Amino acid sequence: MSLKFQETTLDNGLKIIGEHNPQAQSAAAGYFVNTGARDETSDVAGVSHFLEHMMFKGTARRTPEDINREFDELGANYNAYTSEERTVYYGAVLPERGEKLLDLLTDMMRPSLRQSDFDIEKNVILEEIAMYEDKPNFRVFEIGNERFYNGHPLGNSILGSTDSIKALEREQMQAYFEKRYAPNNMLLTLAGNYDWDVVLNQVTGLTQDWQPSETTRTYPDLKSQDGVQSLNDKTLARVHTALFAPGVSAQDDLRYAAAILASCIGDSSGSRLYWSLIDKGLADSASLSHDSADGVGSFVGYVSSAPENFEKVLAIYKEVLLEVEENGLDSEEWARAQRKLATSLTLRGETPFGRLMSLGASYLYNKDYQSVQDVINAVFNTSLDEATKVLANKPFSKLYTLSMRPE
Amino acid sequence: MSQPIQTHTFSNGFRVVLEPMPWLASVSFALLLPVGATTDPKGQSGSATVLNDWLYRGAGDLSSQALSNELDGVGVRRGGGAGKEYMTFSASLLAESLAPTLELYAAIVRRPHLDEGEFEGARTLAQQELESLQDSPTQQLFEALSGQYFASPHGNSSYGTHDGLGAMTPATLRSGYERRFSPRGAVLSVAGGVSWESVKAIAEKLFADWQGAGTDLPKVSVHAEGQAHLEQATQQVQIGVAYEAVMPGAQGWYENALALGVLNGGMGARLFSEVREKRGLVYSVAAVSRAIRGFGYTLAYAGTTTERADETLEVLLGELRRLSEGVSEEELERARTGLLSKLVMQGESSGARASALARDIFLLGEPRTVDEIKAALTALSLDDVNSYLSKHYTPKFTVLTLGSKPLAKAALA
Repeated sequence: MSLKFQETTLDNGLKIIGEHNPQAQSAAAGYFVNTGARDETSDVAGVSHFLEHMMFKGTARRTPEDINREFDELGANYNAYTSEERTVYYGAVLPERGEKLLDLLTDMMRPSLRQSDFDIEKNVILEEIAMYEDKPNFRVFEIGNERFYNGHPLGNSILGSTDSIKALEREQMQAYFEKRYAPNNMLLTLAGNYDWDVVLNQVTGLTQDWQPSETTRTYPDLKSQDGVQSLNDKTLARVHTALFAPGVSAQDDLRYAAAILASCIGDSSGSRLYWSLIDKGLADSASLSHDSADGVGSFVGYVSSAPENFEKVLAIYKEVLLEVEENGLDSEEWARAQRKLATSLTLRGETPFGRLMSLGASYLYNKDYQSVQDVINAVFNTSLDEATKVLANKPFSKLYTLSMRPE
Repeated sequence: MSQPIQTHTFSNGFRVVLEPMPWLASVSFALLLPVGATTDPKGQSGSATVLNDWLYRGAGDLSSQALSNELDGVGVRRGGGAGKEYMTFSASLLAESLAPTLELYAAIVRRPHLDEGEFEGARTLAQQELESLQDSPTQQLFEALSGQYFASPHGNSSYGTHDGLGAMTPATLRSGYERRFSPRGAVLSVAGGVSWESVKAIAEKLFADWQGAGTDLPKVSVHAEGQAHLEQATQQVQIGVAYEAVMPGAQGWYENALALGVLNGGMGARLFSEVREKRGLVYSVAAVSRAIRGFGYTLAYAGTTTERADETLEVLLGELRRLSEGVSEEELERARTGLLSKLVMQGESSGARASALARDIFLLGEPRTVDEIKAALTALSLDDVNSYLSKHYTPKFTVLTLGSKPLAKAALA
């Protein structure tokens, strides 16, 4: 594949990057806004996510129906998501419709935020919160994350609470929008079969009125919670446990080592947790992954077990972690995890849609470009010694677990 | 754009199919065997699922762990499992490792150890998964809706039942394996950066001498329309609807696909627009097409809080019924555009193509190229779709709700 990386910054501060692939059968584009739950104050908890919904509710040039209809007319594979640290609006279309997609996405970035739409959409958000209330494997992370991060903004809830959403006013959302959706806090990412010159010309024109402003993000030290906690919920059939331990950030050179390490311990196939818990039928799910975020990172795990052997299961899970922390990993399991990761990276990189996400996210973190092959090489060049460095901080001795149990 | 599909059937009934995607570094395959919940023996519900897990626990000359290490060692990303009508063994990997990987999968399905010592782990895991369903109300709703809708064994859940899982033994499962696993109806579909010569040669070496009669699939039958409620303490009421649609491959199949696109194609489609955008009743609402061999049906879903459940079901059923009045030109074109672009984008992924090929062969007897499906969708006019809807779209609903209390009124008058 003849891939070409392109980047520029417009006068208003908007960054545009692209990975051009002339052989691709589609083109993907996405606005990555460097804002999320971690950038919210408690009086507007959930505003980033609610705003993400409102961005589909019309602009000076388009009604809400226009936006939905146009996406459909473009045959776009499109959506948006909000995380703790970014909000992303994206779509993929056939190459000849790329220009129209970009017109739509760019226009959406300057929404009307009308009161009547705000009122209706509030109900949708409250339904979304109610939906997640029925998912204990989600709820345990929502609560566990807040407690583990212990006052650090990465512990903020993405959805907010029923109370915070009910109390939120349109003007607060407007103020948040104006502060966070400044062009210098946004990244437009392209992947696949697009025309760079046409894009630049088009986006420069469409965004000429966008005003930069000063946007900041705080990076306090993480003083994470450790220990064991549980909550009771009589309606549950199973015990759902979320596990957290301090990891490394998305800017840290050890992030690949942390990811491979987590895969050795808790991948869905052939990992240490698989053999200790799932293979034996003690748990129907037992996993660990590593989540590297802006300035800080964490290992995140999950296990689901029957109430009667929950203590045994949790003890085994911890033994697995501490065994690795103390004695490290062997080179064969390391090599297997590297290969599995390489396959996953290859597959995700094969479509513009899949490529868009990692391209934009990694650029937001590190302001540099890595091709899929660069990342695969980095994975293969990561040695066991680097895992030893990650483990030298004794992350699993600082483990925090939260269980939701029926009694 | 799409490459010609190659296919071959060996004399024992085993079918191999390839869609070459020479520009890809990866390859994906799906090995489909017509062994699923519909053919689980009476009193042994869940046995396809337990068997599927047990098969991986040692095969050929490799122990359970050695087999897993071999697969991970070449970086295979595994997928699959047992469903209603068939089980799949699917994998994505770098193209150069296809031959050794298929050797491992051939051992899994043809020379599994089925060791007594590994049985309990597989069974207990299935029991745990069945328990976990209770903490996942949406999934639970659909398992129950299927049971309420089908009169034939198609209502069986691949999760099995407590009794069925409790009753099976290593001996009953082994005899099930001997009887049910065979090359008849088995398909190996491959998509990605590999050549037909190599794929055919590997398949021949690994599967052409396989023998066995297998089992027949049961006929489909459904219950009369009706409404029921499952009581469970949840925040949201889960609403599920099932109704008959067009049989896969039959006249009207593509018309129905386009009509469903008008209902559910995107955020501008009828369901999202009427139920969520205009009324704010739900976060999630959808209608999807489901196909089993010789039968097609539609499943619709909405999740909402108790006080809005009656209105939500009313609006949902109203939209499902209104489709019989036809669609507008504009709506049709949007639905068509959506389906066509989705096809092209699926055509970029080896995994998506491999599973589509296997499914086509199972449901239709032949694989379809992306171009063929595009041509069929492009050929239909507004008149075609509307005349199909007015003559043949007469939905009879099976409705199931799950939540803390039943709906105030019956929606099916």
